[in-house]
Amino acid sequence: MKRLSALLLTLVMLLSLAACGGNGGSAPAAQDTPPAQTEGDAAPAPKDEAPAPADDANLTETQKIIKEAESMSLEDLAKKAIEESNGKMFYGVGNSSRGKSALPLFIEYLQSIDSSYSMEFEWQQPKNNKIFDQLTADSLKDTGTFAMTLIQDGNQIESKMVQTGILDTFIPKEWAEANGTSADAYTGYLALQTLNKVFMYNNTGSKTYDNCWDFVAEGEHGLYMDIDSEIVGKNFLYMLTADTYAGWLKDAFNALSADEQAYFQPTIKEMESEAADLGLGADGAYALAWIKLWVESYNAQTDDGPICNTLVDKSATDQFGLLVYSKLRSVEESSSVSVNNINVAAYDDGYTGIGGYGYCHYLFVTDNSPLPWTACAFIAYMTETVDGFSAWGKDMGGYSSNPTVAEATEAQYGHSKGGMAEDGVTVEFEAKNDRGYDWWTTDGKLVLEDPEYCADVAFTVGSWVEMLTKYSAG
Amino acid sequence: MNEPTALRASKSTIFLNKVKAFFSKPHNVILVLMGIVLTVTTVAPIVAIVEDTFKIHPGTIDAHLTGQAAGYTVVNYVDLFTSRLAKTNLWTPLLNTVLLAVGTCVVSILFGGVFAFLITRTNLAWRKYLSSIFIFPYIMPQWTLAVVWQNLFNSNAITGTSNGLLAATAGINMPLWWCQGLFPSLVVLGLHYAPFAYILIGGIFRNMDANLEEAATILDTPKWRIMTKVTLPMVKPAILSTILLVFGSSMGSYPVPHYLGLTTLSTKYVSLNSKYTGEASILAIIMMFFGVAIMLLNQLSLTSRKSYTTVTGKSGQISKINLGRAGKYVIALALVIVTFFTSIFPIVSFAFETFLPNPGDYSFLYTGDTDNLTTKWWVTDENVSENGMYGQKGILHNETIWRAFKGTIWVSVCCSLIAGTIGTLIGYAVSKNRRSKWANYVNSVAFLPYLMPSIAVGVAFFILFSNQYVNLFNTYTLLIITGTIKYIPFASRSSLNSMLQLSGEIEEAAIIQDIPWIKRMTRIIIPIQKSSIISGYLLPFMTCLRELSLFMLLCTQGFILSTTLDYFDEMGLYAFSSGINLILIITILVCNTLVNKVTGASLDKGIGG
Repeated sequence: MKRLSALLLTLVMLLSLAACGGNGGSAPAAQDTPPAQTEGDAAPAPKDEAPAPADDANLTETQKIIKEAESMSLEDLAKKAIEESNGKMFYGVGNSSRGKSALPLFIEYLQSIDSSYSMEFEWQQPKNNKIFDQLTADSLKDTGTFAMTLIQDGNQIESKMVQTGILDTFIPKEWAEANGTSADAYTGYLALQTLNKVFMYNNTGSKTYDNCWDFVAEGEHGLYMDIDSEIVGKNFLYMLTADTYAGWLKDAFNALSADEQAYFQPTIKEMESEAADLGLGADGAYALAWIKLWVESYNAQTDDGPICNTLVDKSATDQFGLLVYSKLRSVEESSSVSVNNINVAAYDDGYTGIGGYGYCHYLFVTDNSPLPWTACAFIAYMTETVDGFSAWGKDMGGYSSNPTVAEATEAQYGHSKGGMAEDGVTVEFEAKNDRGYDWWTTDGKLVLEDPEYCADVAFTVGSWVEMLTKYSAG
Repeated sequence: MNEPTALRASKSTIFLNKVKAFFSKPHNVILVLMGIVLTVTTVAPIVAIVEDTFKIHPGTIDAHLTGQAAGYTVVNYVDLFTSRLAKTNLWTPLLNTVLLAVGTCVVSILFGGVFAFLITRTNLAWRKYLSSIFIFPYIMPQWTLAVVWQNLFNSNAITGTSNGLLAATAGINMPLWWCQGLFPSLVVLGLHYAPFAYILIGGIFRNMDANLEEAATILDTPKWRIMTKVTLPMVKPAILSTILLVFGSSMGSYPVPHYLGLTTLSTKYVSLNSKYTGEASILAIIMMFFGVAIMLLNQLSLTSRKSYTTVTGKSGQISKINLGRAGKYVIALALVIVTFFTSIFPIVSFAFETFLPNPGDYSFLYTGDTDNLTTKWWVTDENVSENGMYGQKGILHNETIWRAFKGTIWVSVCCSLIAGTIGTLIGYAVSKNRRSKWANYVNSVAFLPYLMPSIAVGVAFFILFSNQYVNLFNTYTLLIITGTIKYIPFASRSSLNSMLQLSGEIEEAAIIQDIPWIKRMTRIIIPIQKSSIISGYLLPFMTCLRELSLFMLLCTQGFILSTTLDYFDEMGLYAFSSGINLILIITILVCNTLVNKVTGASLDKGIGG
């Protein structure tokens, strides 16, 4: 009896350990989903090899669907999506939480075509770079959990997701037309939007920053998300070594006074041999010098939110940071906090040099997507309609990659006048008058992420950056 | 002819009989089953992570150095230990980690041990209040104290941020070493784990029979000698247990060093993982190695242990040291002040934070103007219009928060019930076979996951359950399995500690009466050590409620409350994180009170208490 009791008790415990865990409505196990159907001799591309060239015979099932979808209008795609996903569950994963807000709008859109349509959905937002592990693990299944993804960090996307065949690019027809191209002719990834991180400084003191080299001058410690926490921050540094942006840094250096130049000159000199070793262009030393001084001086923060909270407080006299512009949207005015306590450096008259950094949120269909048509339709909806983009477009600092949508979004939300008083004439918060993508990428001298370039230099410039001693306040 | 024939049993019969005899004892059955299951659940993740250190990961350093996209290599080891980045990526974080773990042990044992002594062995005033309030830092997620530390001591002049409370209101700028790095990290973690020491050591103090000390007093032994030769040796198992638990926990802590700017193996693991995936796994292996080393040390101490029986079937009494008429109030007042800052102030600050117009905006304190306060963080019921809510609904209407809350409760209850029961059975079975090697093995293998830093255990389980056959990422199943394995030691330790105190004669008396095992357990053993055993359930429950390091790599950020809380803290949305903290604290207090009312046991009464 006692043996039995002990045995039973123990077994019950062990069984309950295995059985107790509910799924919580989350990712189903592999066996819950049917295996992907492959067509005759068309074998799926190996996961650990570069994807095959765009030869139709070598395309995976999802790639074939994408190819077909790229010639279809949004409405036709929507019909396919309705056929495919009515009554089903849609899993998406992304770096932006707003995918969760866009999905209900997409479902409403499908319901406007077929009122009986319904779809459950779950949108996941992993942290700590886990999205790449999650997508890699999911890619091991015949049919994955995630239908699509909205993802940032071009460098890792290129090396871990695209070169391995885990993600496929879908270029919506009307998006391509709006950009004056076609799906066949377009070679990059599909960006949903460009976000900008811009230099801002607290203006309650007397200090001004009229040149991007001022941010790495002696004693300066800009607030910036740790480059090991947010890898796109590292991509910014990589991009500075590209010829165009290194040239901008050189031009900005030349605009400095002789005294100021004298401080930076030894570092630039020191970097010349490094630039040569790393195979950089003629102005590479300027880029490396700026990067070195920046990495050795910036004050690492956990997120752009705390940086914004700090800078808008009047006590943060003479502090500055490089942070996502859109953070300003949520600042509430109080006795010690005001958007007017900061200046956006690039908006100042006479400011010279880079104004910030632009990076993209990219959209991909997973190569083992359980709902590829629906994924394509959702992607087309977000990139081709104002409503689809509204989850992001309603706030400043995010610019649709579709010029038509961008224009309509501006007409609807008026971000260029976001800092004006109700009368529309009085400037209430200068910093909140978003000058828009075109301005930022020209006059605003935004450094734009190029995924391929980042992946190319990740182990040359990247390893060199890692050798630098990061500033530590502690 | 008539000689009696001796029946001789065959060897197989003898063997079978021995097996039967062995399995006739319930504790042996438990040991065998647990040994097998725990070996699998502990070894499999380790094997998975070791394999990962040799694997080539596309887009990372190993693929770059080998020029291959798949396969196996030792290049991760070579690069981590010999490259120019070895100091940055390995040695400095390793040194910081060891210093942090040792420092945390010292702070927690000194603070918690002294507190336990004062509460249980003296006539200190206001003991009930102090005892309850002391465990608050352990209830709260560890990094929230780090955030409070930042909000208190940061200053524009020193840390280059906006002014914290001290700088803003009193103009005091604390030095840099006080604000960031090793010192605040070990103080915060030490304060967080001090209740651990209090619970463990306090439990022993509470149960200790004072006859031994009285005998020493009668023999005119000096007080310091009684303390060092009688009292401290009696609490040695509890001190060792505290060291074991605190060392491993602090080593694997990610959020505290992350927020306070200290580079440890845990923070390095996270930062290396994107580009140096295989090398990051080696860091996890190194952390595990420390876990195994500590376990072996513990093993040595366990085998040399003589007898720590403090609860017997004979008389037991506790004599309390008289602190004097004024002394008992003076010391109590000092402790009230200290616990105010470690326990009350953070809660007040959390509550206050949820009414500020912007995170960290203390305008109300300077101006006294109530316009600088708001209830929007609680009551806003939409997230369409931008009203300074960063696209979130207020706490009361925020589906993400409440869904995460339900998830947390589910995971915590399951982990607590399963880990508590398994741990209690293991503690019982091991105490019955103290000299058996298998028992020691089961005890060790059950304890090993706890000694392994949480983040490393999380990594190992993530790798183990992310393949084409089983993909459990972001499921409660994975969290419950991981949590259970990780928290069994809480219950097995508390159970073992209390069972070791229990004299064998108590159960033997029942055996002689032929009382069944179940009845012996439910009517004698469990009731005697009720509060220890319930602590074995409560500790996993409480720990699980605000566990981050273990779960952060296993699920997305809105899945459970701790990852949601960390998300809001990282984003700088302190109103939300503070609100979640309050929800957690209230939940734990309600649970603790309920358990107290129903069973009479309570967490702060301590293990063995």
